[in-house]
Amino acid sequence: MNGHPQPEELDLLALGALDAAERQPLEAHVRGCVECQRRLEEARGRLALLSLSAPDQAPSPRAKQQLLERIQAKPVAAPVSGFRAWLQQASFTFAIASLLLFASTVWLGYANRELFRLNDDLRGQIAALHETAERQRQETGRARAVMDVLSAPDAVRVTLVAAQTRPLPQGRAFYHARKGLVFTASNLQPLPSGKTYQLWLIPTEGKPISAGVFDPDAQGAGAILLPPLPEGVAAKAFAVTVEPAGGVPQPTGPIMLLGSAG
Amino acid sequence: MVASLTSDDTAASDAALVRRVEAGDEAALASLYDRYANLVYSVAFRVLREKPAAEEILQDIFFQLWRTADRFDPARGSLPGWLLVAARNRAISRLRRQNPPADDPDRLEVALPFNLESAVAQRQAMTKVQQSMQQLPPEQRQALEMAYFEGMTHSEIAARTGEPLGTIKSRLRAAVETLRRVLNP
Repeated sequence: MNGHPQPEELDLLALGALDAAERQPLEAHVRGCVECQRRLEEARGRLALLSLSAPDQAPSPRAKQQLLERIQAKPVAAPVSGFRAWLQQASFTFAIASLLLFASTVWLGYANRELFRLNDDLRGQIAALHETAERQRQETGRARAVMDVLSAPDAVRVTLVAAQTRPLPQGRAFYHARKGLVFTASNLQPLPSGKTYQLWLIPTEGKPISAGVFDPDAQGAGAILLPPLPEGVAAKAFAVTVEPAGGVPQPTGPIMLLGSAG
Repeated sequence: MVASLTSDDTAASDAALVRRVEAGDEAALASLYDRYANLVYSVAFRVLREKPAAEEILQDIFFQLWRTADRFDPARGSLPGWLLVAARNRAISRLRRQNPPADDPDRLEVALPFNLESAVAQRQAMTKVQQSMQQLPPEQRQALEMAYFEGMTHSEIAARTGEPLGTIKSRLRAAVETLRRVLNP
């Protein structure tokens, strides 16, 4: 807020008619401005006069009687006067204060330990929250990167089919030289123990580059998402071979799927 | 102490009566009740339009004065100012089914521009305020009454009346400007 509010703004604040978006900045200004606090008090007093515009009504006589009965049931403690009373009051006050001081000391010791324990608990909870937030951030980033590859208009879309006569096993590669590779496969045959499928990026120049190994699930489906690959490699083709478990630096086994990027 | 009601308290100042209430003088509280009960009850009834609820608020406010008179400082605010604002706030909270506001005397200091300690002064002030309200165009008066007696904000009044929000803001702004001009002593 620039400068002091207009008089009518303080009137409307005193009236309680402002919605939160208008009220809050005004209240913040008034909290820190003695002059506006004084003007707001004036506005409150002036607007309180609106009560006098209510049609004059009289309560029933019973209301006063009930009030008087109520206060007689809860009398106000009369103030003590005189030096003796003051002395009695002071002694009593001192005794109560001593008792309170002792109780406070005991309680503060206990409270201190509890606060340390609470502090440790809170630190642990905050660390766990940070960890969860970081994990979620990474997962979100990875999902966004996957979508980025899948939706990139200039990504190469390659359908890989069985190298043999059987067309059923199939793989699909979405590749962008800078954004990465997303590969899915289906209808793959289960492999004997000690064997694995390995995906290869076959560049336009040079040797095949391993894009990782994968084992299909019970339905024959498998996937490799954003494997670490050298950036900017132009792909000529993609292939899947059967290799010893853990994979090999260069393909050695039979080619099961093959697809050209051209 | 109720027996001392027969004494003439009508000329005593609010401050003097409050100090006696603080000391447990029921007659002083009864005098303050006689002085201001109609004003307090009228406000509560205007908001709630229901006698039992308005009387309950009237009793609660004077009972609070009985219990917390020691916190009331006449130098910081006038007693009728506190009574009227407390009545309005409590009645609106009840109307809107909210928790009662914290309207302790030491937290709600309202300095009225008029002295209302005598019946004559009250009648004069009521006449002046009512005449001021009559000077307002009906749509401004309606918006002002909805804000004051029903505790409604700009947007709530706009929703209730079906008028544009900007129109309601203009009406209320004009209304408070007029009141500031005519009610300043």
